[in-house]
Amino acid sequence: MIAGTWISILLLVVPGAASVFYFREIPVATVVGAGIEEVLAVFLYWLRPPNGFFFVDSLSWVFIFMITSIYLLSSIYSLKYISERNATGVKQHTYYLLMNLFAISMLFSAQVNNYGLMWVGIEATTISSALLIMTEKSEESLEATWRYIILVSAGVTFAFISIILIYYSFGTLTVSTILDAGVRNTLFVRVAVSVALVGFGTKIGVFPVHTWLPDAHSEAPSPISAMFSGVLLPTALYVLYRIFQIDPLTSIFIWFGTISIVAASLFLGYQAKYKRMFAYSTMENMNLALIGIATMNPIGILGALYLLISHSFSKAGAFYSSGNILSSTDTKDVARVSGISKKMPLTSVAMLMSSLGVSGTPPFGTFFGEILILYSMFITNAFPQFIIVVIFLVFAFVGINLNVSRMLFGPAVDAKEPGRLMPSIAIVASLIPIVIGAFYMVVNYAIL
Amino acid sequence: MNYESIVFLLSASILISAFYVQGQRYIISMIRGQLVQSLLIAGTTFLLSYLNHSIDLLILGLLLLFLRGVLITYLLETKVPRRKSYVFEEGVNVPYLFLVDLIFIVVAVFIIYSIIFSSLVPVSQPGTSSTLLFPLLLFFQGLFLITSRRSTFSQIIGYVEEENSLVLFAIFLLPVPIVIEASVFLDVLALVVISSVITVEKFSHERMEELRG
Repeated sequence: MIAGTWISILLLVVPGAASVFYFREIPVATVVGAGIEEVLAVFLYWLRPPNGFFFVDSLSWVFIFMITSIYLLSSIYSLKYISERNATGVKQHTYYLLMNLFAISMLFSAQVNNYGLMWVGIEATTISSALLIMTEKSEESLEATWRYIILVSAGVTFAFISIILIYYSFGTLTVSTILDAGVRNTLFVRVAVSVALVGFGTKIGVFPVHTWLPDAHSEAPSPISAMFSGVLLPTALYVLYRIFQIDPLTSIFIWFGTISIVAASLFLGYQAKYKRMFAYSTMENMNLALIGIATMNPIGILGALYLLISHSFSKAGAFYSSGNILSSTDTKDVARVSGISKKMPLTSVAMLMSSLGVSGTPPFGTFFGEILILYSMFITNAFPQFIIVVIFLVFAFVGINLNVSRMLFGPAVDAKEPGRLMPSIAIVASLIPIVIGAFYMVVNYAIL
Repeated sequence: MNYESIVFLLSASILISAFYVQGQRYIISMIRGQLVQSLLIAGTTFLLSYLNHSIDLLILGLLLLFLRGVLITYLLETKVPRRKSYVFEEGVNVPYLFLVDLIFIVVAVFIIYSIIFSSLVPVSQPGTSSTLLFPLLLFFQGLFLITSRRSTFSQIIGYVEEENSLVLFAIFLLPVPIVIEASVFLDVLALVVISSVITVEKFSHERMEELRG
């Protein structure tokens, strides 16, 4: 067995090994495990497994790297956050166990070379992450957990019809074999790709099957919200992309993405709770990435990757900052948080950087991603969609930054920084997209 | 009676069980309706295993029997509060739901079937595309059960019905590899286990002010 295969196996085994310490020191074991995962992901860039059980190319590597990075940041952030929150729904050691299983299921989906098993992996992400939402066991978190389970599962069930139709059309579910066969445009393949858009679209946040998304993001503990936004939705998008490659239905995908951006920007504008607002921002960014991928030209795909990787860190930063504010003020209402720049300077910097990052401000990586995607829409002749998307991206930009400004400035509410660890992680996460943006040409050369 | 007729008879019975579940207000009756449905699908799988000389289908039938028939029913029944036979879902207008259900299903299924599914040529025996109508009906019936009911139990059963319909669709069209089918079964089982945790905490689901928008 060659080194790449061992690395892929270890990526699935290490979080499981960390869970062995369930009864003793699982928080530290999880952080150590996540650190090892990050190192393994870096090595995977040079040492890829041959196509067999695993299928790891440059594109899937970007997703694997994102998953391990956000997993590492969230596990460190959780050390303080979870110990301070009222975790009555899920006990602390169970929280880490589920977090590890959640990471395994995402890494499995991003590496496996079989459409059927990808579906199994995506369903497993629901199983492993559902109970994490009800960590604090409020009435709202129970309802959000239930909505997440039933809506996502019912939606992803649709996607299994797509898997059956792919198997019917090709006689195999091996991703590399089907993609090597080239594009096949038959009625059943078209139906399979369209049904996958609805099925996996439920998990990605495609309108109108996105309804679980704001509830789950707002009620989950902040490190889990960061994992949802930063890596769970992109993992589902990765699986959808692999199906889309069989027969690219560009027009349908771009239109769905455009309509979803319109919906997300409108919903985002009137949100009274900051975590829900960031959830809708995730929906907007995911659908923009969907459009980038759907254009099927290298510029669009490159743009989508830039957007996804920068967004994952920016959004993680936004949710970590939200967690700091929630820990300190005990409210999720935008209207009840103001002037925190005076009381929580580190968190305020992270919150400001993150909100600028997720709304695509230069020089953040998200900005370059958005520009590349918009350019690719232009050269794909998607002019009406281009105009609509530009207008509503401006809407979203104003909506997010206006709300964040209200929270940061004005008369100060009673608040204080929750120690040093949590604000530091928030700042690290929110700074990385600037690094990606500033050196995007270098990063471009390095990762693709 | 030939084998094809038996398959149609079993499929029709599966559909009747789905309508029976839709018509129930008492939770325990719904769970038992789901049990009958899973057993009927297991029976259909055994018959197709014989017709197609397929060991995979035989294993699938056994998995259905054990995981869906026995284990899921047991898990759900143990979560029903005490005095099981009296636990029911309030505010269910059965005749109205049936009417909406029929309109929804008939329209959805016949459009989809006539455009797409009628041209599918099943690989497995008995090999007629009209058998595909049944899983399609069951799928939408499960979906309707989820959307039309508020109790956690009803929605779990709706989800299990949806999954049952996919099993039926696969065995009628072209059974997917057993490793994948078994993984799907375990996923569904795990999801029902997770869901049953919620049933203890929250029996029904209403709109919440905190989760609006």
